[in-house]
This record gives sequence, structure tokens and C-alpha cells, in this order.
Amino acid sequence: MLGELLGHYRIVSKVGEGGMGVVYRARDQVLERDIAIKVLSSRTVAEKSAKEFLLEEARAASALSHPNICTIHQVGEAGGELYIVMELIEGEPLSRLVAKGSLPVESVLRYGVQVARALAHSHSRNIVHRDLKSANVMVTPEGLVKVLDFGLARRLRSSIFDESARTIDSLGSGSETLVEGTGGVTGTLPYMSPEVLRGEEADHRSDIWGLGVVLYETSSGQLPFRGRTAFETSSAILRELAPPLPSWIPAGLWAIVQRCLSKEPQQRYQRASEVQAALEAVQSASVAAAGSSGEARGPLTIVHRGIRHLAVKDGDVLLLVGTMKGAFVLRAHSERSRWEVAGPYFHGQAIYSLAYDGRGGKHRLWASTSTFWGTFLRSSDDFGKTWTNPQEANVKFPQDCGTSLKNIWQICLGRPTEPETMYCGVEPAALFASHDAGETWSLVRGLFNHPHRPRWMPGNGGLALHTILLDPAKTERMYVAISAGGVYRTEDRGGTWEARNRGIRAEFQPEKYPEFGQCVHKLVLHPARPERLYLQNHGGLYRSDDCGDSWQSISNGVPSDFGFAMLMHPRDPDCVYILPIESGEFRCTPDGRLRVYRTRNSGCSWEPLTRGLPQKGAYETVLRDAMATDGLDPAGIYFGTRSGELFGSIDEGKNWKMILSGLPPVVCVKAVALGEPRPARKSGSGRDAQKGQASAQAKRSADRKKPRRGKR
Amino acid sequence: MPITFHIPGPLRVYCRGSQRIEIKSSPRTLGQAFEALFRECPAVRDRLVTETGQLREHINIFVGTENIRFTGEFATALLPGAEISILPAVSGG
Repeated sequence: MLGELLGHYRIVSKVGEGGMGVVYRARDQVLERDIAIKVLSSRTVAEKSAKEFLLEEARAASALSHPNICTIHQVGEAGGELYIVMELIEGEPLSRLVAKGSLPVESVLRYGVQVARALAHSHSRNIVHRDLKSANVMVTPEGLVKVLDFGLARRLRSSIFDESARTIDSLGSGSETLVEGTGGVTGTLPYMSPEVLRGEEADHRSDIWGLGVVLYETSSGQLPFRGRTAFETSSAILRELAPPLPSWIPAGLWAIVQRCLSKEPQQRYQRASEVQAALEAVQSASVAAAGSSGEARGPLTIVHRGIRHLAVKDGDVLLLVGTMKGAFVLRAHSERSRWEVAGPYFHGQAIYSLAYDGRGGKHRLWASTSTFWGTFLRSSDDFGKTWTNPQEANVKFPQDCGTSLKNIWQICLGRPTEPETMYCGVEPAALFASHDAGETWSLVRGLFNHPHRPRWMPGNGGLALHTILLDPAKTERMYVAISAGGVYRTEDRGGTWEARNRGIRAEFQPEKYPEFGQCVHKLVLHPARPERLYLQNHGGLYRSDDCGDSWQSISNGVPSDFGFAMLMHPRDPDCVYILPIESGEFRCTPDGRLRVYRTRNSGCSWEPLTRGLPQKGAYETVLRDAMATDGLDPAGIYFGTRSGELFGSIDEGKNWKMILSGLPPVVCVKAVALGEPRPARKSGSGRDAQKGQASAQAKRSADRKKPRRGKR
Repeated sequence: MPITFHIPGPLRVYCRGSQRIEIKSSPRTLGQAFEALFRECPAVRDRLVTETGQLREHINIFVGTENIRFTGEFATALLPGAEISILPAVSGG
């Protein structure tokens, strides 16, 4: 054919040959440009109807215009030859790159993101690829990905898949391809999804499976499902789990691959844009970890310019401060005498919750941000220099719930033994869980479907699930606190929940001690004595010694039993801090005196801690999540006020200093001691200030208690 | 004649920095126009509408000078060349 004219294209040279036909480089005589022309073999399109279908689909695919999709210029027929004219791409197919071995993680992510973008674009136009594989992904010398042959697999005859057999052979899998004709199973066997193997119609989620296979293949150099025969390969696809990826692959990428390779389409990502966002999040984490400035990664990462950032090192103490107008990060050396301030991050956005995740060697900050434009969960692996910025809201209600997210009130890390698990408490009151380190989230249906839920009532701040506590001793047990719904406990990891409010007063209800509906403001427990809980109610301070089965009042001598914040001492399970607020409409510190109260005898008595705090004209409010401890010994205690003042004590509350003033209203404060604990003040102390432990609600597993200093 | 979206500052980062985005597919309703916008700029969707498909509370959309809350929301009919503005409402503190 060389030198011949096909339409107005003069064939220049042969580029390649596959089952689908022969690909030539050709010269467009009209537009005077080089193009690729694929002349389909006569066996490819045996029937007239098949030819018409192919033409129809190729025309549809030719409407795709995207930088990551090989553009189809024209579909034509000349002298009985069916041909497809397309963009000429200089580069190598991914299958050839991966035949040399696995690719660097950065390349896997860079190429994967582009393939996901191409799929998102085609799916938005209702075009399913149906034969996504590494042989159909071209990579240019500049690293640009072009996906070939969109939508062309559907009506093609089996013979076109001869091409893929070679691909598989080159990978040494020894597998074969399984193919059928029109209307039957189509695709390349090792890339075929379970539903396609079962003979069901491929949809966009079958392409997401294919993307999962390509990601796995590029990460490991191996196909995820292999067998000596087509039967064995099919069986593996239908029934087996993909072997784990090598240890150097980031956990986030492995989680994405696993979700793409869920056997049931509804368990996979439902949109390619979600895969893209997830890959970009891993990409930004990888880049940040590699010490990059995080520049030029598009809108999926925010780079805060013109803002002072912190250089953080082991042994530092960090304060994470969320305000109604942004987040601030403060850093001090372990003596905690001078604080450097960074931020504001998320300028103008309300930060309802912050968290630090140091599990598994990470240093990850989490923030929930809320504006007119919605609520998003962001993370930073470089202490705030760059933050993820998800394309889609990562925490959202499934459509069948008929409700939408207002705020994320609490980000709670799973137990140290479950480093990939996280929880979010949200408004309207619901619990979300993630088991892939925050990549993907799902609604905890057991609580959402609770028959009490329709009768929970919003308080002034909305109907929020604001507190999540995990029992460190019994991993099936956890608690949530809802305002105004009360305390709920699960004994089966969230499957079923029971109200646990016996003895807690609900002043605003006709029945003062109802089963549920209490307005709980804060709930805390100590890991060393997890059957004991303390509770700051909307009016009332309570303690339970039986996992919430019953509650007794401990409002013994406080100026007001109303308040929001409550904090557990990091080591002493009898020691709790509160910040009383006047009840009713005033809602400020009583008598204009800013006083922290502490019990050291589990609520039998309370003592004011005022040294260094303003005792005149200080009409302050401290919100429920705005008090924290760094867990060091002696414990640093910190709190922020709605008037934007931040106070701290480095001797467990004996003396206080103002750390910062002039902040926007403070919503939440978290404290973190990074790295190895400081030398102990006295024998055995400070043992629990371990690397990577967020402090706020004393999540650490203290294994000892201080001697009790008060009467029981 | 294409319809034009005027993109507010906070959303431009999700629209390749553009202040204006033209939709050439001649959508007949505002809903169709937004679907076209979301295809071009997928990150805009969750920032404008909730999980239940409602326009976020403090965001207003105008077709010309008419607030769509009074013209049928996303069912509002579009004429060729329509200009659509997305604006945050006057609220907050």
C-alpha cells in the first residue's frame, strides 16, 4: 500500500500491525499534515451490520476532543477498505514501557491521572472504552498520555484481539485471550472485568476496572490476575483478590487500585473523575513527601503563597487552631516558651475540625473547611505548605439519603492498630468512616438508619455529631455524642447503636430524663480506664462508670454546670478540665472571669485555675473542641476563645499565659507533641508522649496512672 | 450562539483560571448548561450544588439579571447567547 492514496491520504510508511488491522503513517494531502491511518482488516468487520455499527461508534468517538485522547479525524471507506484516520502520536505504548519492569511511582501516578482524565471525558459523553489496556495507552516523549481506540471494541470481531495476545505474551503471563463476536464478550482477557466475563454489558465502571488493571500493571510490572490458561485467568478475575503491590507503593495508591478492582461495579469508584482526584491526592502527598515546593500541580493542591510556614522538627510541639476564618499552626520547642505562628491557611473558610495523624510514620494534618462553596476534607503532608483540594467532596451523603452535608465537626483517627481507619462526625448528625487513610469515605448506615434519628433535634449550632470516642480495650465498641440526640454506643463496630443517656437531664424537654434527645456538648474517656466517661451536657456535668449505661451528676461546686469544652488529663483518669459558661442566653464566662475548672477526684470536687487568666471584664466563650492537651509531662493545656485569644499552660493549669490574641473566633484547638518524648521529669513520666499521637482527646494508651491527689 | 458563564473568583481555580466559559452546545435549559459546564470543569459541581442536587444556600445564579430562584431554578429556559452569572449571596460574618 505504500505510496498509495486512500481518500486524500497518501500512505508513507507502515507503523505497526495488529489484529485490528495495519497502522500506517500517511500524509493528508489537503491539510498537509502527517496522520496515522488504521486500515481495518477484512476479517475485522465481517458483516455489513457490524461495519455499520463500527462506523457509527467510530463517529461517536471522533466527537471526543481531549488532550489525553487520540483524536479521530475521520472514518472512511474506500475500495471496500474501512479506515480510521487519527492523530499521529510519537511515543511508546505503556505496554512496552512496562514490559521492562514496573514504573516509578511518580510515573504510575502521572500516567494514571491522565488516563483517568481521558475516561472522565469520554464517560461524560456516554462513550465507554471497553478495551482499556496498557497497549492502548501511548506515552509521548514529553510524558503526555494518549488513550487510543475509544469505543471501538464493542462491535468488532474476535480477531482484532489477536493483538492483545502478543501483549500478554510479552509480559510473560502465558495467558490467552478470550474473545467472542458481536454482542458477546469483548475485550482483552487479563483486563476484562468480572461483569463482562459474566456476559453482562460493559459500562463506564468496566473501564474503571481496566484502569485498575493498568495501574496495578504499571506499579508492579505484573498483571493482577494471571493463569496458565484462559480458564485460570478468568477464574482469578472472577474470584481472587489481586496480590498486594510491592511495599514501596504508597498505601493510598494500593487502596485506589483495590477499589478499582472491586468485583462488583457498585463497589468501585463510580466516576473516573473520582479515581483522578484520588490519584492526584496521592501524587500531591508523594511530591510533598519528596520535599517539593508543591508548585504547578493544578487546583488539586493549594499552595499557600505569601504565608509564613513552619520548619517543624522532631521534639516540637504544634498547636493546630481552627477559626471561623482559617487555620493557624503554631510551633514551639519542647519547653513551650515561645511560639511561632503560621497561617492563616484556607483564608476566610470556617475550620470546624483539625487533626494530626502520625500513625504509620505519617505526618499528616487534616482539616475540614467550610464555605458557601461546600465542605471539604483536606490534608497536608508538609505541615501546611500544601494542602489537597479534592475535585469532588470526599465526605458526602449517598443520594438515597435525601440529605446533604453541612459541616464536618470532628475528624477522629482510628486506633493505632488500624492506621488506615478514620472517622468523621458531621452535621446533619451522621458518622462517616474511611478505611483507606481518608481516600474514600462511607456513611455508617447503622447509625444513620437508627429509628431515633428522625426525632433528633438541632440545637443552636445545628444537629451535629461532634464527638467520636473509641474504646481502646474493646475494639468493637465506640461512642458518639450528638447535639441534640444524646450519647449512642455500638458494640459491633457501628452495625447497631443504642442510646446511652440514663440519668442525663434534658431541661428543654417536657420529660426531663428521656431515653434520648439530650443536648450533649462533649464526651471524654481515658484510655487507662475506658469504662469511665465524663460528659459536659447542655446544663449538667456527669460521669459514668459503666460505659454509659448510667450517669451520675458531678456538678459539685462549679459556678455553672453549663459549658462546651471538656478535656481529659493525658495520664490521670480522675483528672478532667472544663470551662464553665453561664447558661441561658448570656453564654459567657460567669462574672466576667475566665476560669478553667479541674477535678482530680473524678468529679467529687472542682478547683478553679485562674493564675494568669483575666479575672475582670473577660466575657468569653470557649467552644466544645477548643481545649486540648499536648500529652507531655507536665501536660500542656491550651484553649482558644470566641474572641480570638489563645491561652496555654505548661504546668497542667497552674499558671496560664496568653499565647496569641487577635485571631478570628476560635472553633477548635488540637495539640501535638512530635517525636520522641522528652526526658522524664520523674520516674516513668512522659512515657505516653509518643511519636505521632494527636493529643486532643488523650487518644494515647497510657498504661499507668498518677497517684490520686484528691479524695474520692 | 454560545451561552456564557461568568465564573466568580473562588471558582476560577477549577476552571483553568477563566473568568468566562462559553458553552457551544446550545443548551435549552439552565440545567443542561450546567451539565455542560460540569463536564468541562468537574470540580465546580460539588461547589455549586449539594448531594441532593440543590443549589447551595448562599449562592445565587442569574440568567441575565434574573435570579433563577424566581424563574424555575435549573429548569429555567435559556435563549441563545444567554449570559449566566454565578455569585455568592450577600451574607455571612
